[in-house]
Amino acid sequence: MNNGGARRMNGGGEEDDDEDYVNGDLDAWERTYTDERSWESLQEDESGLLRPIDNKALYHSQYRRRLRSLSSTATAARIQKGLIRYLYLVIDLSRAASETDFRPSRIVVIAKHVEAFIREFFDQNPLSQVGLLTIKDGVAQCLTDLGGSPESHIKALMNKLECSGDSSLQNALDLVDGYLNQIPSYGHREVLILYSALSTCDPGDIMETIQKCKKSKIRCSVIGLAAEMFICKHLCQETGGTYSVALDESHFKELILEHAPPPPAIAEFATANLIKMGFPQRAAEGSISICSCHKEAKVGAGYTCPRCKARVCELPTECCICGLTLVSSPHLARSYHHLFPIAPFDEVPPFSLNDPNHKLQRNCFGCQQSLLNPGNKPGLLVVCPKCKGYFCLDCDIYIHESLHNCPGCDSFRHSKADKE
Amino acid sequence: MKFQIEDVTVYFPYDHIYPEQYSYMIELKRALDAKGHCLLEMPTGTGKTIALLSLITSYSLSKPQSPIKLIYCTRTVHEMEKTLAELKLLHNYQIKHLGPQARILAIGLSSRKNLCVNPTVLAAENRDSVDAGCRKLTASWVRAMAAENPNVPTCQFFENYEKAASAAVLPPGVYTLQDLRAFGKEKGWCPYFLARHMVQFANVVVYSYQYLLDPKVAGIISKEMQKESVVVFDEAHNIDNVCIEALSVSVRRQTLEGATRNLNRISQEIDRFKATDASRLRSEYNRLVEGLALRGNLPITDTWLSNPALPDDILKEAVPGNIRRAEHFLHVLRRLVQYLRGRLETDNVEKESPVGFVASISSHAGIDQKTLKFCYDRLHSLMLTLEITDTDEFLHIQTICDFATLIGTYARGFSIIIEPFDERMPHIPDPVLQLSCHDASLAIKPVFDRFQSVVITSGTLSPIDLYPRLLNFHPVVSRSFTMSLTRDCICPMVLTRGSDQLPVSTKFDMRSDPGVVRNYGKLLLEMVSVVPDGIVCFFVSYSYMDGIINTWNDSGILKEIMQHKLVFIETQDVVETTLALDNYRRACDCGRGAVFFSVARGKVAEGIDFDRHYGRLVIMFGVPFQYTLSKILLARLEYLRDTFQIKEGDFLTFDALRQAAQCVGRVIRSKADYGMMIFADKRYSRHDKRSKLPSWILSHLRDANLNLSTDMALHIAREFLRKMAQPYDKTGGSDRKTLLSQEDLEKMGDGSVHEMLY
Repeated sequence: MNNGGARRMNGGGEEDDDEDYVNGDLDAWERTYTDERSWESLQEDESGLLRPIDNKALYHSQYRRRLRSLSSTATAARIQKGLIRYLYLVIDLSRAASETDFRPSRIVVIAKHVEAFIREFFDQNPLSQVGLLTIKDGVAQCLTDLGGSPESHIKALMNKLECSGDSSLQNALDLVDGYLNQIPSYGHREVLILYSALSTCDPGDIMETIQKCKKSKIRCSVIGLAAEMFICKHLCQETGGTYSVALDESHFKELILEHAPPPPAIAEFATANLIKMGFPQRAAEGSISICSCHKEAKVGAGYTCPRCKARVCELPTECCICGLTLVSSPHLARSYHHLFPIAPFDEVPPFSLNDPNHKLQRNCFGCQQSLLNPGNKPGLLVVCPKCKGYFCLDCDIYIHESLHNCPGCDSFRHSKADKE
Repeated sequence: MKFQIEDVTVYFPYDHIYPEQYSYMIELKRALDAKGHCLLEMPTGTGKTIALLSLITSYSLSKPQSPIKLIYCTRTVHEMEKTLAELKLLHNYQIKHLGPQARILAIGLSSRKNLCVNPTVLAAENRDSVDAGCRKLTASWVRAMAAENPNVPTCQFFENYEKAASAAVLPPGVYTLQDLRAFGKEKGWCPYFLARHMVQFANVVVYSYQYLLDPKVAGIISKEMQKESVVVFDEAHNIDNVCIEALSVSVRRQTLEGATRNLNRISQEIDRFKATDASRLRSEYNRLVEGLALRGNLPITDTWLSNPALPDDILKEAVPGNIRRAEHFLHVLRRLVQYLRGRLETDNVEKESPVGFVASISSHAGIDQKTLKFCYDRLHSLMLTLEITDTDEFLHIQTICDFATLIGTYARGFSIIIEPFDERMPHIPDPVLQLSCHDASLAIKPVFDRFQSVVITSGTLSPIDLYPRLLNFHPVVSRSFTMSLTRDCICPMVLTRGSDQLPVSTKFDMRSDPGVVRNYGKLLLEMVSVVPDGIVCFFVSYSYMDGIINTWNDSGILKEIMQHKLVFIETQDVVETTLALDNYRRACDCGRGAVFFSVARGKVAEGIDFDRHYGRLVIMFGVPFQYTLSKILLARLEYLRDTFQIKEGDFLTFDALRQAAQCVGRVIRSKADYGMMIFADKRYSRHDKRSKLPSWILSHLRDANLNLSTDMALHIAREFLRKMAQPYDKTGGSDRKTLLSQEDLEKMGDGSVHEMLY
């Protein structure tokens, strides 16, 4: 856009005349459009109206690529996963976080998605704990200690969103390393750094700190908001984390949510351990007791620790009296699907639908909608490798991301069981 | 992988090949078939070296009846080692596939400083003193003396090498300089002389440009190379300057003073010999009367640098009578030095042709042209007779003799310029007399004439039609290749205006304008806040860089820049610059981020890579034109116009743009890398300037990026950096193949490759 107008304005100078029409007789303004090819993102529907191209297929292919990369590492070798995670979320509140290339500002966007992330994280990892850290004025500060309550973290974060000063990766890592060193050996130590700045002002040699983190088996991941930095890449490579840079807000959301499912465990660290856990009973409605976590009397809705009979308000948590890990059985069950994910569905090439030998399912096994696109053109669809049920793309995503069960396989198993 | 190019089976040590490497090989093969010279431009980072090596060695393997020798010239020792390492890889691969018949001998050759293994000699700090130290131990008369008197020190490595005589050979294989030293140490043989000896038998020789182009060195090293050789000049974009320097001499006051000292010393030696061993001087005289050739029958250790004139121009005649006697020759030299000293005492810039200068010498100092011509040979002979070994002390008189021989030999293509002071510092008298060569084709002509094929290749040879004119040869192939990229990993931009929409330029009348300086400062300031890790800035000259940095410092811009990144500056001191570079790299590594200020045409711009995070952005402030008021440049321009019909403007722009391209090319060293390039000068948007950039930059310079202001550039930079940080597929999509496997190559015949590439 800028090319044409600016050139005209400036081209008056005696020597700056542009004698270079590379694209022949196109005008400058036309050329910018030639470059962008904006018309290609439009298509005509049956009634001749223009509408943006349906990017569902594109979106789905992205999703499938992600799924494949996940499953190729996970299912192939039945990789052990860290279900009990201790994650420190480091939020960079340096000067760079107040920049406005994300609207309204980077820090607002970060806060919004951190909130969503924390909720999603506890949803997927009920047995895990999160702590919050901020970097500001070159110093790292602990905002909240490790804990299992999403609300308290979110509240603490929302109160502290001013940005100033430089950023220091080393200070943050040192602090995290100090905290995570005390974690019991069955827990998986992780740091997720949301880094806005493009440099780090460190008091010492950061390479040593990285080696220290590597030794303490802390998995460090970074999401950058501006551009790729060598030191972040190096940190992630050394400690087995992932490094990504957000293109825009939606991409940032995607990236941060990728950290919600548990990562594969670090090999040499993945020793099997028995962990003592308590499954507390829910106290009777209407009974009054003093809860041990808030130190105040409450009516109903609490849990009683099976070992010391102390009362706690919510699960999962650690009993403040005897230190027993308290969970409920649905929490364990929710963590289970990470270990046994359903196999990714195979894509069906469109031409095989026209194959007369092939028995054609016309409707999606999941939602019972027609599998054909408007105009009876065959659309993209997928098939479960086990039960051979056909699914539409929406159901594919829903099954893999939320349901964690294949409806086809389950119903066939039930019907088989019925027969026997 | 292994594939067929026409009738040659090419062995390539990697599983995949870039399409441009493949087409590079095809062109190269055609040139070899035609036994002609060629000119090939291909961007760095595309594997030029391995493509060259694997094609040429495979070519010679497939035609065993007429084996060709490969002479590979590099600019630096570092590049030499890299080339040999690649060759080693290739060689192992070929042996694996072909067995012992693929064995070749490949060696690197460098100066004694890089090859010597004698600890006492190596202790000397510079090249000339190492050479002299070696001569002190190995000269034939020293060894003769040692044979009688065991207390005279000799080099035991050289003695062992001599003892082994014809048995001292290198078994086939690829030897880097380090391998040579290790081999020498193990066997107890001198690696330098072993390498010099083996050069004649080796299939591949890797050495520096000078060994072929500088007649002083080429005369002793490369004399016996066979005609069936392929000569490769790698990174040859500055080859014309190398050629010119090889034939240029400059004389300063210090040179003359040193020469006088040398002459006194020589005259003492002569007196000493007269007293003790007068027969030696007499026998030398007799030899000169008979007109015996000086070279040829000397032992290998006694050869000194040979004649500075090109072999064809040296007269095969006896030394003229008036300088046959040592004392007479000394008188001639004294008169010459005296004359030159007189010429240096001038207040004006003087420019003369060699013919006029010789005439003036002959009338004032009474030395005729023929005598001048023989100065060099005569000095050489005298030094041998006097058994002088500390040759590093005698460099001054040697320079004077070089000068005399050159002006005696050449009448065209040279001029003599005397400047009483440096134009930029008119208060400090620093007279210098320069014999400058204007014609690059002189020095390279013997190379073109002697060898079957000469390959000139580099990342920046644009515009490619100018080189044949400058070097005066006819290439059978001249092609420029672009880079096939999996993603658009370079982002060139032309920035013409600051944020305030005022044009920026380093044009002479604008460069000191405070608005321009401020806009440049603002540009850098904005960029340091959005670009991670390293940024490199190139300025047009040291003085301009000093000026602009001072202004930035005064206005506080520099301080603001330092908040984001550390600042390092190249200086004329090599040690200081090395230190700065080292710290710059450390700052990039540890995430602090850094800016490096450097100068186009400086050491950094020529030889240092800023790949990966060491250079995410390079800003070229201004167009790096040469200092156009320099007398030497003016004389050269005039000569180019008269002789080759190259317009002054064309040459200057060509030279400036190749330097600019060289500077910005520092950031991309491989395809996995990415980087931005900002040309910050309004003159770059003009077609005549821009079109001289290499095609691999031009093809990425979109029209929309041709006329940017600072804020627009900033926006583009942000977008670009985000895009590049995303993971990508290394092999490229199905529509844009950027890596070809063996099957791909077999599948497509020649035709389809061509369709795909062009």
